[in-house]
Amino acid sequence: MRLTIEHLSKQYRRDFWGLREFDLDVGPGVIGLLGPNGAGKSTLMRMLATITQPTEGTITWDGVDIVRSPDTLRASLGYLPQDFGVYQNLTGREFLEYLAAIKGLGGTSARRRIDELLIVVNLGDAARRPLGSYSGGMKQRVGIAQALLNDPQLLIVDEPTVGLDPEERVRFRNLLSDLSRARIILFSTHIVSDVEATATEIVVIHKGRKLRHAPPEKLLQLPEGQVWQWVIPSEALPALKQQHIISGTVRRQDGIQVRVVSADSPSPEAQPVPPSLEDVYLHLVSGNGVKQ
Amino acid sequence: MARADFLERARRYSFLIMLGLVVWLGYVTATGSLVMSVPPNYVGEINSPWVGALMTVSVSLFLGWFGFYLVKGSVSRDYETGVGQIIATTPLSRPLYVLGKWLSNFAVLGVMILILMIAGIAMLLLVGEGPFDAWALISPLLFIALPCMAIVAALAVLFETIGWLRGGLGNVVYFFLFTLVLSLSLSAKAPRPLLDFTGIRLVGDGVGHAAQVAYPGSDPGFAFQILNEIATPQRFRYDGIDWTAGVLLPRIFFMLVAFGLAMLAAVFFDRFNTSKSTVRRRKGAALSATEAAVPEAAPRPEVRLTPLVATRRFSFLALYIVELKMLLKGRRWWWYAITAGLVLLQLAASGDSTAAMLAITWLWMILLLSGLGNRESQHNTREMVFSAPRPVLNQLPALWLAALTVIALTGSGAFVRYLLGGDTPRLLAWFGSVLFIPALASALGVLTLSRKPFEVVYVTWMYLILNGVPPLDFVGMTPASPWLFYMLLAIGLFALAAFARKWQLRDRNLST
Repeated sequence: MRLTIEHLSKQYRRDFWGLREFDLDVGPGVIGLLGPNGAGKSTLMRMLATITQPTEGTITWDGVDIVRSPDTLRASLGYLPQDFGVYQNLTGREFLEYLAAIKGLGGTSARRRIDELLIVVNLGDAARRPLGSYSGGMKQRVGIAQALLNDPQLLIVDEPTVGLDPEERVRFRNLLSDLSRARIILFSTHIVSDVEATATEIVVIHKGRKLRHAPPEKLLQLPEGQVWQWVIPSEALPALKQQHIISGTVRRQDGIQVRVVSADSPSPEAQPVPPSLEDVYLHLVSGNGVKQ
Repeated sequence: MARADFLERARRYSFLIMLGLVVWLGYVTATGSLVMSVPPNYVGEINSPWVGALMTVSVSLFLGWFGFYLVKGSVSRDYETGVGQIIATTPLSRPLYVLGKWLSNFAVLGVMILILMIAGIAMLLLVGEGPFDAWALISPLLFIALPCMAIVAALAVLFETIGWLRGGLGNVVYFFLFTLVLSLSLSAKAPRPLLDFTGIRLVGDGVGHAAQVAYPGSDPGFAFQILNEIATPQRFRYDGIDWTAGVLLPRIFFMLVAFGLAMLAAVFFDRFNTSKSTVRRRKGAALSATEAAVPEAAPRPEVRLTPLVATRRFSFLALYIVELKMLLKGRRWWWYAITAGLVLLQLAASGDSTAAMLAITWLWMILLLSGLGNRESQHNTREMVFSAPRPVLNQLPALWLAALTVIALTGSGAFVRYLLGGDTPRLLAWFGSVLFIPALASALGVLTLSRKPFEVVYVTWMYLILNGVPPLDFVGMTPASPWLFYMLLAIGLFALAAFARKWQLRDRNLST
């Protein structure tokens, strides 16, 4: 099971590329795609999900070019789009039955799968209610369930935790970890903690280009000795923001504890601290001109 | 708000299409393919008042009828996109909101009038007789066409603020409402200015009078024909409308009516408070979205997903059944009761009445059919549905077959009647229709990704069939029904839908 992307590019307008010269070669595991809004994550995911055609480059699934023969992948694909709708008049179960039939599933195995999925996404009690009465988080969970209907070998989930409450987010992260053993899961987000909890590999994207692809532990080595922490008076914060990338602030009785990513010590009082993934992310994207 | 709304719509693809149609209308009018005449063969000299009258009738008739469908949708869009929720939190009042929408609708239709006016000027400069009189050309558009468009614009807003008229049913209701008012106005023996909001009767009477002055032998009344040249036309001079107070006051009255209708819309407008909407609820489904969002306190069972067996075979039957369920889902008991009643009426009626009942039954199916081919776009499920295997070869035939089943079942009364009566021509037309109707709906749905075009085309088509137009008669109202043509056309339309869907999947970014 191998997903290989070579020189992948997507041009939307003459002067605008959504993705540029993107390469990736991954096997089973959870691959977290991390990047700011508009970085190109959804563009990449839509191309992998055979929804959009690339302008340049190739995508191969176990050696088969999926741009030329998308049905090769579609049979093994589960996809949760970032933005999707539902049929308001159908119940949660009916909606899953409909999509199961679309994906070529039927009979008792499909029914059993739907029953299990409804429990896994915690919609067992709401399964017979029309989707029109669901909250945003519940609809998102229906979306997660439909992506898992065909027991996909490649699961692509675009911003899946949007709209989920903290408890459901944790459940979803655990579910991804459970599923990751025998499949490739591509998981895009701009929420670092989601990736931190689940990803076996992280790909950082910015402005349509891949900045880094490595396991989390390797990424954490990047800014070692470049993350600093100390307490400053509240009124000094605006000036500090102008000079440095601030990755965190905590209000205290004696002022504000700040966390700064910087190659040199930003203040005589600053103490070096171990970097977090959030620091790494800011370090990488700021190198391309983005500050928090 | 009206300006932003106008710009938003002017940049839409549908606006360009309508603009193209209006340019075509201006062209056919200017080149003489669209003829206004007094029977049998009297036509006005091509001077400024005549061209003004011609353009005014074109605007009132075509934009009065179809302009509604062009402008209707801006309030619905605010509901669908969620922009409405933002607007609801601003100090903008209900009357101001609907007023803005009305003005924006009016501006869109106004642009169409402007284009036809330019076409009229071009026509006068190219083939006109006599001096160019700008006032004679513009005044009927100003006093007749504009108030008519103001009413159309206001009705579009009013329909959108009334929940049950917002969707496809409103499109059908407007078609018959416009037809009814137009027929009442044209068929009345004496002119009824307060019924003549299109102004067609006002123009027609003036034209007829001018013809009778020149040719006392001419028939009373006037005709408006498309692509039908008059053999050896005899010309008469038409000097336009004398804008007396008696003529102008009803036109001003219609502007006030339009304003009143827009304000009436403010009464029905729920200010995007969707909790007020009459969403159907079932037993056990009574929770609102907010209530449903409350997390359950009960402990949850932990379930492991059972892996699916690797060898799966695609089941077309399963897909066909879910498509059939999808088509019928959400219909209430009274919908089934009316449908059953119509099927029984087909059985009970005989001859032409059976065919008429069949046409009415299939017209009743309009809202069910108009979702074919565009459901995924309407509900934003494209990315989920089209990332499944073979979306063209699997889903489209299942959808078409499901719709075909519904059409066949709802036409079963007539089928039995024709079978028992040995009425072979009508039986063949029945088969042709069963193939053709779902194919037409699928093709228009896939091509336009919208419900509206099919609703407009289908209701107009069925209306013409019920009024006995043999070339359009796929239902079998007349013995001359070209059933074979419609059978072949059904195949062509289905192929077109399949190619269009394939093209959309292959060459277009479906998510934008």
